[in-house]
Amino acid sequence: MSYYDIDSILTDAEKIPCTFQLDIPDLGYLDNTPTQPLKAGTKVNLPLWLAEMLAIANASDTEGKPFVTFDLPPALGNDVVQALKADPRAVPLRDQSAHFYGLATQMMELSEEQELAAILRKTFVIRASEVALYARKVGGVGHKGKGGADEGSNLGVGGAGEDFLRALDEWERSLFRKAHDGTKSGKEWMEGIKKH
Amino acid sequence: MPMYGDLGNKLVQHAKRTQNLAHLPPYQTELVRAVTREVRDLDKDVASLLEPFQGSFDPSADQPTACTLLVNHLSIRRNKRCLLAYHRTRTDKLEELVWNGSDVLDLAGQQAGGANGASAADGGASSSLSPQEEDYVRQYGDLLAAYKGQWTDIDLTGSLEPPRDLFIDVRVLKDAGEIQTEYGAINLTKNSQFYVRQGDVERLIAQGYLQKLG
Repeated sequence: MSYYDIDSILTDAEKIPCTFQLDIPDLGYLDNTPTQPLKAGTKVNLPLWLAEMLAIANASDTEGKPFVTFDLPPALGNDVVQALKADPRAVPLRDQSAHFYGLATQMMELSEEQELAAILRKTFVIRASEVALYARKVGGVGHKGKGGADEGSNLGVGGAGEDFLRALDEWERSLFRKAHDGTKSGKEWMEGIKKH
Repeated sequence: MPMYGDLGNKLVQHAKRTQNLAHLPPYQTELVRAVTREVRDLDKDVASLLEPFQGSFDPSADQPTACTLLVNHLSIRRNKRCLLAYHRTRTDKLEELVWNGSDVLDLAGQQAGGANGASAADGGASSSLSPQEEDYVRQYGDLLAAYKGQWTDIDLTGSLEPPRDLFIDVRVLKDAGEIQTEYGAINLTKNSQFYVRQGDVERLIAQGYLQKLG
């Protein structure tokens, strides 16, 4: 994750539910009430880039408590996790968050939920093989998409895979694109060899 | 309610879209200005928050202020990252265009002109680059030329595909004036066709003056 990485920056904009632990007179605007002080116990959805530091900033002091505590975002909530346990392929991850895995990774760094981490790992492995399967299918047959420029929106495959591919998160999409382009270039190379 | 960092996020979404485009969309002058203004406002807030403490601020003694300062500081840092990433995405793209040998400045003018073609009200052909970016392209082009100049035998930006034929048919898409070849001068006027040595016209094809036929 580079400093300049666009997807990483967009992932950091994902919001997670936070609870402030102390009264702060000047931050009322975070709770839509700029004129009033922010009371301890107020729940606010904050982007990761803000929440992360606020949650760990003060915690190292002996008597200090963190400015905010946070909960897992709805994208990693119980409903989603139960669905993932049942069948990872059936969950439209993109509806939860366009940067589902990015968000999940960040959250795993902040909290230690061993079980959730294991479920997410399994989810990725199962979905990745599915992604590879579709990418090979699409890349192998004569596919209309040319070059990288229009590749971003060019995920239409038709048939049963369409719903699945539409619901990929950004990371899976890039995986699909790479697998797809790889298969396609491989095929083109093989054809080129035959001609000469 | 808009929050600090929202504008920066918009800028990064522009950058994200730019990554998937073949051309470079117009520079977001207004947005960039708004984000830098936000940074300046935040910095002012920090200064006025710290003023009463006369340089002896103790974070653990005044936690609410410490938290406000942290929020301001993080917002500034976030905006900085958004601004840098936006510009970096664009310069990456510009460098790529320079390496491909396309006439970036010319291209930018055309695209902006083409896009505004329907609504020609806003001042005709304005460039999609900021003045600083135009400068960047010019200087990067000079650098690349100086770098390539070290190896006169190799065209570093040339095609990696070995040519099938030494000579090719080309059609002239726009007037390119007279060029000198081994076999004498050719006057390239629009819509004419020539049978020329590929090596002589490769640059002109890349720049879009000529089209290769067959």
